[in-house]
Amino acid sequence: MTRIWRETGFVENDAWVIETEEVKATEEQKPLLPLAELIEKAEASNDVGLGVLIKPGDDVRKLEPYLYRLEIVAVEFPAFNDGRAFSHASLLRDRLAFKNEVRAVGDVLIDQIPLMLRCGIDSFAVKNATALKRLEEGRLPGIAEHYQPTARDAEKSGGYSWRRRTAVA
Amino acid sequence: MYRYDEFDHAFVNGRVEQFRDQVTRRLSGELAEDAFKPLRLMNGVYLQLHAYMLRVAIPYGTLNAKQMRMLAHIARKYDRGYGHFTTRQNIQYNWPKLSDTPDILAELATVEMHALQTSGNCIRNVTADHFAGAAADEVADPRPYAEILRQWSSVHPEFSFLPRKFKIAVTGAERDRAAIQVHDIGLHLKKNENGEIGFAVYVGGGQGRTPLIAKKIRDFLPEEDLLSYTTAVMRVYNLHGRRDNKYKARIKILVHETGVEELTRQVEEEFAHLQGTELKLPEADVAAIANYFAPPALPDRAEGWAQLAGWKKQDEDFARWVQQNVQPHKHPDYGMVTISLKPIGGIPGDASDVQMDLIADLAEEFAHDEIRISHEQNVIFPHVALADLEPLYRALVAQNLATANAGLITDIIACPGLDYCALANARSIPVAQEISTRFGAPERQADIGELKIKISGCINACGHHHVGHIGLLGVEKKGAELYQITLGGSGDENTSIGEIIGRGFEPSKVTDAIETIVDTYLALRLSKDEIFLDAYRRVGPQPFKDALYGDAKAEAA
Amino acid sequence: MTDKVLTANRLSDGVAVWLDANGQWVEDLQDSLVARHAEAVASLEAIGKRDFADNKVVDVAVVDVEEQNGKLWPTRLRERIRAQGPTMEYAAGYRPADPAFIAV
Repeated sequence: MTRIWRETGFVENDAWVIETEEVKATEEQKPLLPLAELIEKAEASNDVGLGVLIKPGDDVRKLEPYLYRLEIVAVEFPAFNDGRAFSHASLLRDRLAFKNEVRAVGDVLIDQIPLMLRCGIDSFAVKNATALKRLEEGRLPGIAEHYQPTARDAEKSGGYSWRRRTAVA
Repeated sequence: MYRYDEFDHAFVNGRVEQFRDQVTRRLSGELAEDAFKPLRLMNGVYLQLHAYMLRVAIPYGTLNAKQMRMLAHIARKYDRGYGHFTTRQNIQYNWPKLSDTPDILAELATVEMHALQTSGNCIRNVTADHFAGAAADEVADPRPYAEILRQWSSVHPEFSFLPRKFKIAVTGAERDRAAIQVHDIGLHLKKNENGEIGFAVYVGGGQGRTPLIAKKIRDFLPEEDLLSYTTAVMRVYNLHGRRDNKYKARIKILVHETGVEELTRQVEEEFAHLQGTELKLPEADVAAIANYFAPPALPDRAEGWAQLAGWKKQDEDFARWVQQNVQPHKHPDYGMVTISLKPIGGIPGDASDVQMDLIADLAEEFAHDEIRISHEQNVIFPHVALADLEPLYRALVAQNLATANAGLITDIIACPGLDYCALANARSIPVAQEISTRFGAPERQADIGELKIKISGCINACGHHHVGHIGLLGVEKKGAELYQITLGGSGDENTSIGEIIGRGFEPSKVTDAIETIVDTYLALRLSKDEIFLDAYRRVGPQPFKDALYGDAKAEAA
Repeated sequence: MTDKVLTANRLSDGVAVWLDANGQWVEDLQDSLVARHAEAVASLEAIGKRDFADNKVVDVAVVDVEEQNGKLWPTRLRERIRAQGPTMEYAAGYRPADPAFIAV
């Protein structure tokens, strides 16, 4: 079972769905559109509150003209070791100044969640049992000290320009 | 050398606890192997043929006596009494238990050491010239920048799951002793016409299956842009490096397939956004880090000149050792000493706990507590007074650490090979041992002169065979080992990839083949001053092919 | 079909182990259970999968062996080295592999 987690806790009644052959968005749900479809829809309508699914090979910068119409950008980790979405999220926040929800979907495991948070991802679609358990317990395995600035701002610390610190959850 | 501050201690202790939790979850089964594997790799824990292997980082090859003693202690307490120094200036232990690794890392943390990112698809140990800070020809010490890059790349959340591993090397002299052109990023520290510090940036070098020499994509990158520019390169690689084929996933392939102009354009485009942002390196920070690398106060020891001359006259072996293993230092009363870990017939790069403890003691007594590990698998004392060379030598002799072979034919680089490594196809160590024994006579070695043999037990080239003057690549053919020979490789500022010269040799024929190559060289060299590499570059492979595979031999084969 | 044995590395300490007739993972190849026909091999593979899932071992593999003079002799050099350890003197107090066993 997939649950949506944010630092404020688990989210119920999430409306966003990744459509497949078998699964389509119901009346109450909204589809996370593939990039090409999102662009097509945005060009062809005045709809706002849209959602897009960024796959690893997509160029996230193509979203630039449509950002203000997006409620959510989901970035996909098809395998946890496909690290492209860390860059997608970073570019979304840093380069494109996207302020709404950025969600990690796919192979989301507890050990990568602290890294994802630092790249500006703020919600997580979690299936993995251990991850769910640890999130329920509020036990994230991150390290408070950081040696680099990242998309998510953190407090300067440790004297050198590149160092940061966040309190560990 | 760099000293941890409170922030560093907090980080490394946090990292140890994080890893301890991961190991506990793995051993209990809560964490499965496929999810655990990249996590343990990012803490330097491999699984090899006989056991796990722990690769401990020695940042840019620099350590002090206290740290060396800890490495000895780890070997004694958790392993089989020895360690292996590698071609990336790290140390490997071959027999640790997974269940002990958190404790090992905790002990290492007490002396400011770690095993962070010595494996995995992340940024690895940033290597540097092993003579940094001492070499007479140095323009600037590369180590402060290696340290800044080390910090910045530690648990970088955007770059922890790259398409493949990423290796950076920095050199600060015209002579490249860090092989920067066979690294993913190579940085050549230099000064521009205004005397300002910056870097020539090379991208896309590497060995392995597809050896490629790096391309220079920037002639002069100002010092303050180091982190912004590196971020730009990493981001382009992370997004566009191939992930469909493990053997095509390094940045060298991306450079090759994209083309260097287009890749440079992509990097520069990304850099333009990053330049001057919070990644800019303030001069004050660079100065603060550089402060740690200020050379030790070296008192004049002019008495050493006469003493040295006297000792050399009395002891031919000592004279040979000075000739071969001591290089000129910035300070005229000092020398840079190579402590050979290549005893004749021994295992290249291995040191016992007893030897490590001795090295630590000697570093304190004679070397201002500064030790380096070279990518050629030897130990370096960069600051030794000429006046102390003889007592140092005597102490080294007692533990078989005084082989006078730096850069000579028996100073062989060899990967662990099939004796240890799960990736290997053939053994390297016995081949190195046999060649070393055959050529062990000191006079013969001295006569042959500089000749770098590098041996890899598989295509991954951890032995750096592509840049050996003579390279040996072990392969498996019909269940047996076979060794391909390459000639004319070099990892210095005139980097070249060795050329395969013909059919491979069975283990029992390899040493004879090396002897044939050496004899051919001796017969055709212009003088003793023309080293093997230069002679090869002058005459090409043909004379060597003829000698090895000429008509008579072809018939017998 | 060549005879086969099941090998792996123990999770906790990484030591190379082989499956014996009692379903135990042992450190001596010579004590391993030999599968001489397809069903036996399938059974070995199943045990390997199970013990991997049970977090006892990692890197499970079925390897070929021959019987030579009453000894099990892996046909791959790599497996012979795994069975006996490094092939040279490498540490005080540890014996290197037997050259006769290792030889092709």
